[in-house]
Amino acid sequence: METRSPSYHQSQVDKLSPRELERYDRQIRFLGLGVEGQLKLKRAKVLVVGVGGLGSAATLYLASAGVGLLRIVDDGDVELSNLNRQILYGTSDLGKPKVEVAARRLKELNPEVEIEAIRERLMEENSGDLLSGVDLAVDCLDNFRARFILNDACVERGKPLIHGAIYGIEGRLMTIIPGKGPCLRCLIPREPAEQERIPVLGPLPGVVGSLEALEAIKMLTGLGEPAVGKLIVIDGMDLSFHVVEVRRNPGCPVCGGK
Amino acid sequence: MKIIVKTFATLREIFGGTGMLYLELPEGSTIEDLLKKLEEQYGSRLDISRLVGENPNVKVLVNGREIMYLDGLRTRLRDGDSVAFIPPVAGG
Repeated sequence: METRSPSYHQSQVDKLSPRELERYDRQIRFLGLGVEGQLKLKRAKVLVVGVGGLGSAATLYLASAGVGLLRIVDDGDVELSNLNRQILYGTSDLGKPKVEVAARRLKELNPEVEIEAIRERLMEENSGDLLSGVDLAVDCLDNFRARFILNDACVERGKPLIHGAIYGIEGRLMTIIPGKGPCLRCLIPREPAEQERIPVLGPLPGVVGSLEALEAIKMLTGLGEPAVGKLIVIDGMDLSFHVVEVRRNPGCPVCGGK
Repeated sequence: MKIIVKTFATLREIFGGTGMLYLELPEGSTIEDLLKKLEEQYGSRLDISRLVGENPNVKVLVNGREIMYLDGLRTRLRDGDSVAFIPPVAGG
């Protein structure tokens, strides 16, 4: 299913309307962004894979920041046990396809952006299509297997990938720029066992998803330094942030030679 | 000497509670000695091979530096050192 907005703004990618100038006023005032940065966001296309806990926070901030096109991918329906953390959804959405509810919510939040809602599971077979035309991808998945598929597809196509994950009261974040820093397989060389029903306190995916959106905004506008080669480990237990250096693995079967 | 051990995620569940442990080790001990001590205390609950195998998924850090870029398992510890065990996580 796809939800496309009227693309009136598409013909105007080189300028901002008075309403857009007002909507984005506080971020345009930020020295590092300005009107130029806002126009870069308006022209940007971002793939967000997974609209659960991470994806809720990430898409809300990417849409509100004015990223021109968000392609959101998830094959799940809203379940009651999602609602402690998946802030895109409410109790009245139970049983509905997540991407449909998410697209409506994001359009309501910001009608200036285009939302492509794709109700599919990421697989090797569709990864190329999903990545086609986007500037970068945001990993908001909930298992290792799909993350490796996304990582491999991004490395193969040279697309930046913002990796985020959570567990319990902890979060992880690392930005992957193929060829410039380590990929997910350099970070996690052996495929770990999968775990169902991972414990999580709701604010953690909120924090990590928000930071993923920030990394995406930085990459799209050229702002600051992305967390390439740095695994950010967030521990809510004592509210500490650790920055762990991660190097490329020359023997990495996915990015080693690239 | 006293070593502070910090565990994360699934490993934190094995050690219980906050993930902070304080271990007493003889002077000159290495990461390998620390792992032996942990295994003695926590036995089968701790899958040491997951920590020490080739291309380990678990990041082992001494004072924030990964042992892979120090002396690996032979990395020497000093009084007050902080050792962290960080496994990968997959939640979203």
